[in-house]
Amino acid sequence: MHIMEGFLPVKHAIGWTVASAPFVAYGLHTINKRIKEKPEQRMLLGVAAAFTFVLSALKMPSVTGSCSHPTGTGLGAILFGPTAMAPIGMVVLLFQAILLAHGGLTTLGANIFSMAIVGPFAAAAIYRLAKTAKLPFGISIFLAASLGDLLTYVTTSCQLALAFPDPAGGFAASFAKFATVFAITQIPLAISEGLLTVIVFNALARFNPKELKEMNVVTAQEVQA
Amino acid sequence: MLIEQSAYTNRWRRVSPAAKGLFTLCGLVAAFAAATPVTACGIAVVLCAVTILGAGIPPGRYLRVAAPALLFLFVSTMSLAVSLKIGGSVGDVSLHMAQTEYAKVAQVCGRSLGGLAALLFLTLTTPLIDIIALLRRLKAPEILLDIMVLCYRTLFVFSEAVHDTITAQSARLGYANVRLSMRSLGGLVANITVQVWQRSQALHLAAMARNNDGPLRFLEHTYPNFKRDMCIALCAGTALVALSMVIV
Repeated sequence: MHIMEGFLPVKHAIGWTVASAPFVAYGLHTINKRIKEKPEQRMLLGVAAAFTFVLSALKMPSVTGSCSHPTGTGLGAILFGPTAMAPIGMVVLLFQAILLAHGGLTTLGANIFSMAIVGPFAAAAIYRLAKTAKLPFGISIFLAASLGDLLTYVTTSCQLALAFPDPAGGFAASFAKFATVFAITQIPLAISEGLLTVIVFNALARFNPKELKEMNVVTAQEVQA
Repeated sequence: MLIEQSAYTNRWRRVSPAAKGLFTLCGLVAAFAAATPVTACGIAVVLCAVTILGAGIPPGRYLRVAAPALLFLFVSTMSLAVSLKIGGSVGDVSLHMAQTEYAKVAQVCGRSLGGLAALLFLTLTTPLIDIIALLRRLKAPEILLDIMVLCYRTLFVFSEAVHDTITAQSARLGYANVRLSMRSLGGLVANITVQVWQRSQALHLAAMARNNDGPLRFLEHTYPNFKRDMCIALCAGTALVALSMVIV
């Protein structure tokens, strides 16, 4: 769910850009370190950004019967790590604004914060927690992808509620309004994306176990399971 | 991608991207600085007219590109126009039209339309590769530009791979129902995921074979009328900002 160009007031647009900047800067710093150690990572991250962009353009059947587009937040965070996802997400969101007119330039900071920072970090944290709790691999992936998606949408609703508090009920009422309106599309999307991510990892484990182990995404035991 | 087609085929393809970027920036400033919602809508109309009449973008294509953003604007402004009152007891929730908010809704609508028109002016007239070159001149971080260049060049390869795979899957009734669609889509994404690693390895080998050890550089276009373009953009942009502040 991208906030469109010009929708946020100036103070909020600048505020969210400032909030996102350290994460993107740290992400670039870690990417630079990774490239110094392994030069092939330069190509990998660029190709990963293209993959995330193409993924977001795919039509996915939603549980309500309609169609929606996956965000790739959970999948990207598990495959490439949440810190790398901030700059990758920034590039993808900029491309979406320029090539598809989804989102905008003044709202780029707010969209980065929800989709390239909160979503991936939440997905990665949930995946780790689920692994620590020794939940089955499929359930861990489903929880990470769908909750990462849900938290992205909750963050966007928070951003809109902070910018436009309700005259009667304040922030809480405004958050309830935006969260309810966008829940119609976002909750089915989160469930569908969770299921899709599980199917993707199952297909990888079945047809490409060698590549999956080389990617360091899962252990040999998980691939066998 | 409709935007990409227009960006390469519009009348202002050879106008300096810096001039188009400057005019876009002025358009955004004008949309945000507009004194009234009507003025902001006027700015949007001017930017829209410049894009359609000046750059020669077909109006139908313009509307199709703007449609998703307009849908978001409609849903969000409807949420703003309705006020939710939460009472003290459980279930004491009431919805009513917030008449005091109408001015704010109009302001947000006008600003968003102006901002969207400015963004569409840039995207429909300037190819992404020119915007990347402009960012390079503005000293954006080299690694970010490398990711952008690689992303731009690879996304068409992936788009082709996705299109071919979907055609093959559809021919085998892979998208006949929801269950099969999810299964086919899962297989497709898994296949593309593996290609991310394979293609990046191949690209790295190709770059190494050409002694590449740093940033990816490409020849950039030269713009003979750069100074003229910048002057026109500056004058038009300043006029737009002045109008937005003066007209009440």
